[in-house]
Amino acid sequence: MATALRIVAALAIAALILVPLFGSEYLISFAFTTFLFVGMAYGWNLISGYTAYVSFGQISFFGIGAYAMAILVAKLSWPWPFAALAGVAAAALLAAPLGWAMLRLRGPYFALGMLGFMQVLYMVASAWSGLTNGGEGIYLPPVRSLRPVYLASLLMVAAGLGVTSMIDRSAFGLRLRSIGEDEIAAEAMGVDTTRAKLAAFVLASIFPAMAGGLYAYRLSYVDPSSAFPASYEVQVILMAIFGGAGTVWGPLVGGVLLTGVAEVLWARFAEMHLFLFGLIIVIVLRYMPEGLVPLLRQRAARRSGPVLPKEATG
Amino acid sequence: MNPLLEVREVSRSFEGLRALDRVSFEVREGTIVSVIGPNGAGKTTLFNVITGALAPTGGDVLFEARSIKGLRPHQTAHLGIGRTFQIVRPFPGLTTLENVAVAALARESTRRAATRRAHEILELTHLAPFARTEARNLTLARRKRLEVARAIALRPRLILLDEVMAGLTPAEVDQTIELVKALRSLGIAAVAGVEHVMQAVQKISDWIIVLNFGRKLAEGRPAEVMHHPEVVKAYLGSRYAGAPAQG
Repeated sequence: MATALRIVAALAIAALILVPLFGSEYLISFAFTTFLFVGMAYGWNLISGYTAYVSFGQISFFGIGAYAMAILVAKLSWPWPFAALAGVAAAALLAAPLGWAMLRLRGPYFALGMLGFMQVLYMVASAWSGLTNGGEGIYLPPVRSLRPVYLASLLMVAAGLGVTSMIDRSAFGLRLRSIGEDEIAAEAMGVDTTRAKLAAFVLASIFPAMAGGLYAYRLSYVDPSSAFPASYEVQVILMAIFGGAGTVWGPLVGGVLLTGVAEVLWARFAEMHLFLFGLIIVIVLRYMPEGLVPLLRQRAARRSGPVLPKEATG
Repeated sequence: MNPLLEVREVSRSFEGLRALDRVSFEVREGTIVSVIGPNGAGKTTLFNVITGALAPTGGDVLFEARSIKGLRPHQTAHLGIGRTFQIVRPFPGLTTLENVAVAALARESTRRAATRRAHEILELTHLAPFARTEARNLTLARRKRLEVARAIALRPRLILLDEVMAGLTPAEVDQTIELVKALRSLGIAAVAGVEHVMQAVQKISDWIIVLNFGRKLAEGRPAEVMHHPEVVKAYLGSRYAGAPAQG
């Protein structure tokens, strides 16, 4: 079983790397967009899936990555890979003090605090014309080939999967989950909750920053509304929850399925696609609130695994 | 020899209400001290002040002769103070094993070592058959037991037990008494906050502190304290204060 899985995984990876060689422009572009979302879903999952600090403002870091890319490439003529990494560094540096302040808030206050922070960044980007050209936006040189950024987006997904899988099995991951379950009890059991949350928050900021940089490079244009697309935030959250928040494979499964479904609906039912998409989300969350991956895992455990001792509740 | 824990003149007010009023007592190593008193006497507040979940408004708390006032709960946990919660709060979505492993991480540097240690503690506390059960699916008695197991995983010198016997059947109370006695054999001192279950208190305690309305009414050995006029008055009303209480 494990060997079969490994062979399938190796084939999948080979196929993904070969997509740019043989795939059409449309396929590459679609895969690129999907990977940006999957990467962001991995970032969101690290802080909101594991510690249950649900953020509505991770797009703040997307915007920082986008503007870093635009400013460094268009104004300072940096090569795009360096600009992407600089955007990631800027986001992480900002995330440290931001997290220190925001993670004192709990539940909806944290979610709304992050949403508010995104609005502030949007205002700053609009007003600070000297740096961002305000509403006029910044134009980047047109992209000649999608292949290099496609590979960068694929790397980001691999990093998301790899980092999440390592954390999931580590002491750090167990601490994050204990915070998500009950922060006061975690603290009483010796977990330095402030430190663990902050580490997760900083790590989580890296993924949207990278996605934002690649997105800006691909679009060749950045203005405040393209740098802070609030609707992307919602999509990313839906993907992570649909696949299974706080799981290793959830963001990948949820991201690929939802972008696939959205694409098909859009192609087949142009007028109704948003309605149908919303309907599917509602139905899915009604019948598997924990997401797809935990559901499949339970099914598999029920089929093969030893029967767990059943407890009478009471 | 210095006491393990020394609570000195500790007070805590909530918006003018004195939940604790200059309470002092000591806990010696390896002993079991029960803090008894009716609901609202200040037992949970006392535990929250000792662990650092609440700051005292006055007084000081010393652990191993060193002030721990102002430390956060995860710091007092690392120093060797474990606790259970009156309203149980195991990590519901984690398995019994993972619940204990979280606490074991305070002493072990890797997840693997913490898991191994957690297995040992589940054996010790008779929870091993439920290692892979999510804590939310355990009975109340087992969730309470899990909280004690989790506290033991910290390798503490002292465990604060907040109403570990409340809501249990007589048979479960007996099992809990055994568990608390097992703590003593591990060299762990315990402070048990207890509202009812007085027979159990008599059986396990080396020393009893009586709290009422945030003040210490009396303290002493179990046999003495239960007959203290103030205690009888607090529990049974002033009408019975003159009459000798039945043990």
